Amino acid sequence: MTRAKIELGDVTPHNIKQLKKLNTVVFPVSYNDKFYKDVLEAGELAKLAYYNDIVVGAVCCRIDTSENSRRLYIMTLGCLYPYRRLGMGSMMVKHVLNYVKQDGNFDSIFLHVQVNNEGAIDSYKKFGFEMVETKERYYKRIEPADAHVLQKTIRLPSTPLVNGSVSHTKTNGYDAGSQQNNIMFYL
Amino acid sequence: MPPSNPLPPKENALFKRILRCYEHKQYKNGLKFAKQILSNPKFAEHGETLAMKGLTLNCLGRKDEAYDYVRRGLRNDLKSPVCWHVYGLLQRSDKKYDEAIKCYRNALKWEKENIQILRDLSLLQIQMRDLEGYKDTRYQLFMLRPTQRASWIGFAMSYHLLGDYEMANSILDAFRTHQMKGPYDYEHSELLLYQNMVLAESGQYERALQHLQKFESQILDKLSVKETSGEYYLKLNRFKEAEGIYEDLLKRNPENVLYYSKLIEAKQLIKAEDKVAFFDEYKKQYPKAIAPRRLQLTEAQAQSSFENLVDEYLRHGLYKGIPPLFVDLRSLYADPMKAETIEKLIIQYIDNLAKDCTFGPDPSEVKQPASALLWAYYFAAQHFDHKKDTDRALHYIDAAIEHTPTLIELFIVKGRIYKHAGDPISAYQCLEEAQAMDTADRYVNCKCARYMLRAGHIKRAEEMCAKFTREGVPATENLNEMQCMWFQTEAAASYQRLQQWGEALKKAHEVDRHFSEIMEDQFDFHSYCMRKMTLRSYVGLLRLEDVLRAHPFYFRCARVAVRVYLRLHARPRSDAPQTAEPDTENLAPSELKKLRNKQRKAQRKAEQESALAAQVQVKREQHHKARQQQEQGDPEAPQLDELIPEKLARVEDPLEQALKFLQPLRILAADRIETHLMAFEIYFRKEKPLLMLQCIKRAWRLDSDNPELVDCLVRFQRWLEESLSGLHPNVAAVLKTETQPMVLGRSALQIAEQSVSGAARHAAALWAARALRRLVPDRTEQALRLVTSLDYPDVTIQSCADVLESLREGDFGECEAVIERYVEACSARFPYAIAFKPAPAPEASENHSEETTPLQPKEITANN
Repeated sequence: MTRAKIELGDVTPHNIKQLKKLNTVVFPVSYNDKFYKDVLEAGELAKLAYYNDIVVGAVCCRIDTSENSRRLYIMTLGCLYPYRRLGMGSMMVKHVLNYVKQDGNFDSIFLHVQVNNEGAIDSYKKFGFEMVETKERYYKRIEPADAHVLQKTIRLPSTPLVNGSVSHTKTNGYDAGSQQNNIMFYL
Repeated sequence: MPPSNPLPPKENALFKRILRCYEHKQYKNGLKFAKQILSNPKFAEHGETLAMKGLTLNCLGRKDEAYDYVRRGLRNDLKSPVCWHVYGLLQRSDKKYDEAIKCYRNALKWEKENIQILRDLSLLQIQMRDLEGYKDTRYQLFMLRPTQRASWIGFAMSYHLLGDYEMANSILDAFRTHQMKGPYDYEHSELLLYQNMVLAESGQYERALQHLQKFESQILDKLSVKETSGEYYLKLNRFKEAEGIYEDLLKRNPENVLYYSKLIEAKQLIKAEDKVAFFDEYKKQYPKAIAPRRLQLTEAQAQSSFENLVDEYLRHGLYKGIPPLFVDLRSLYADPMKAETIEKLIIQYIDNLAKDCTFGPDPSEVKQPASALLWAYYFAAQHFDHKKDTDRALHYIDAAIEHTPTLIELFIVKGRIYKHAGDPISAYQCLEEAQAMDTADRYVNCKCARYMLRAGHIKRAEEMCAKFTREGVPATENLNEMQCMWFQTEAAASYQRLQQWGEALKKAHEVDRHFSEIMEDQFDFHSYCMRKMTLRSYVGLLRLEDVLRAHPFYFRCARVAVRVYLRLHARPRSDAPQTAEPDTENLAPSELKKLRNKQRKAQRKAEQESALAAQVQVKREQHHKARQQQEQGDPEAPQLDELIPEKLARVEDPLEQALKFLQPLRILAADRIETHLMAFEIYFRKEKPLLMLQCIKRAWRLDSDNPELVDCLVRFQRWLEESLSGLHPNVAAVLKTETQPMVLGRSALQIAEQSVSGAARHAAALWAARALRRLVPDRTEQALRLVTSLDYPDVTIQSCADVLESLREGDFGECEAVIERYVEACSARFPYAIAFKPAPAPEASENHSEETTPLQPKEITANN
């Protein structure tokens, strides 16, 4: 049999409901309207993943400019249960890596993952992510509440930032972990 | 007065300029010149000038004045062809074609050879299908202008339409040999194919075939040549040649179902095995074609062979994820063996896919994609829905939704399952969910709107459609303009269920007007097609227009209209508008306060809405203006009366109106028994015994067992028993003889009693019980026993709902307790159907308008 067709597609105001449905099923936390409003503006940073023309996964990222660096933060990346281990996650991670490479101006990519989500942790490690920190009581309403921070360094931190090359003026409203607890990975 | 009132040269020049202005649409200038002539007292009553002034005014939309002037002009100069022609043009612009034809004929009396008038006349005649008249006119045109191509073609076609194929063919032959001189272009090719069509319609296939072969090289439409010659070979039993043709055609398009069936005909295959083997061959030859694989399933008769074939077909479909797989196979379900085989296979797939991702039980088989299980669930849900097994259908669709909640099709099917189970509310909610998942999908949008209409949420349906209609115009207006008939027929039926008679009639009239408009639109093609030589399509168009109102959309809207008019005849709307002013005196202060609050809110809302409506109005006017400017080509189109629901519901002659809707059906849908039964209802109320008889006889010929027809017969016989003596003896004699074969000497009561004892089906029981109760109220109990039994083999949600409605309408007198028990029994039988659920408690929340609970349970039935 030929391989199934897998591809990425845009999130639009017309199909955003599919993303919502997907996230409701895949992640144990629910996201507020602001999340989805921003996703619509995110362009290549938010993508739906199609398996044989059916939406089965999605990835949503944003650019984080806190801590004096420009980092890509993966907010959600997940796939419906029956379609796991079929290359959907890899496709989405590759898309993110590719985006970062094309942009050429990121220091790192990072994300939070629930400590018991070993499948996801292993997968990310294969893509060169490292566990850099564990935040206790990161999630508010789910167990276990602790989260690892996984990070893939793109540019060595020793490389000094050229002053003014990156805008640090404003973060875009998310304060990772502290207020929204919206960071999950299901691969 | 002189016969033709000649003007002196100066005025005559002015008159010519009026004509020119009219042709160039410079109407204002035309009026100026007319004034210059008419202001001279000597010519103040000059007929032709007056007529032209009228015609010009008509083009400026001043219809009444136009008629005045044209008539006055004609009176002053009855022998002027110009005046008659003008009067004809005026009538034509008003779509009064019959009148216009008379005018043209008068004009021709005074000027026999006026080409323009003859041409106009011929167009009207073909539009009105006055074929004899058309032939005469085309003959005259032909004699006057024998060198023009159109003269020949029109002349030939007039004979063709009258069925004189020989003559038509000879004219075309003569034209071809004497008139046509290269190049052999598209028009020449079409003419040849038209001639060939004439020959074929005359039944001379041999000649048609020779004609086709002779001119093959000059005909550009090669596909047509192939297809028609294949057809001729089959008709002439020249099977070998036919075989070759259809094999060639299949090479062009191996998906054409018709070619396969023709090829089977040519190969004279009769036995199922032979046909299956035939398709095997073509499957090998065209491995990518779907048609031979699907057709093979229809032909396969033996269970084992069918199972193998359908197994392969299903596996491929599920592997590929073909959404309409079930719809594709549904027609096979007519054979119970095939349905069972499919069920067995699909359940086996589901088991194995869930375990090992394989179709078969062997886990080492090729693994299937993760979506295969999903599509298998999806198929199973539709399969069990088709079997009316709602529980299992819901089980599988829920399994599918749990598997992949992002697939829109699943929610559509879930909605359909609820619809079939008699719950239009849950049904439309599912569709709403599906719609929200892809708001750019017009198909789902329309489906959702339709489900909303079925559930009685007309406003919401309009809002749903508004997402795809033009902005700034109310959705209903745009849908009407676009002749969106599925919406309008559904809305008509929905309003009927909601007992909003006026609105229902408005929608029905709108649909009716679309059909009239389509007939009108035909007019332009009479000259256009002749010019462009698309004669085959033109004849097809004429034949389509002849039976236009046979279209199901018309049938449905006519049925709504007739039923509503019958209802309005039985219970005319009282003229006093109902005031909904609540009685405030008897309210407790707190309730009063609540009421006031509510009123204030309502007022505020109304204000907002009217502000919005005003905006919309402005936009609409702009839109209309823009359109009027666009449509300047036809400023003379007659304005139709606005359809106002309130007025329609207060119609004075409902039976006449009902007849207007029914008349086309009596000719075009004479094969549907409903047509005659509806006609009977109308004539019964009009007390027209001979027409009643006609309806009953026609219905009888179609299906003498129809329970509604038997009821009509009972009522008719009853009516005769009471009124026969008062009729003219000749009429009475006819009625007696003609009813005898149906009545067989029985009294109305005897017919009713016989139908009671013979009632084996649910509908028959209802009609028989109702007839019995009507004739002998003492036997209510017997009638009720008959009607409330659920032991009929064909009990459906709809048939139970019909019974319930009849009980509630009081057809069996007061019977509250019976109704209650009946509702309980039905709801046990059909647990999902909301028709048998107790009425929901009135909405507590103030914000819910009547839109939230628009339906009384009794009106909701399963609409399949």
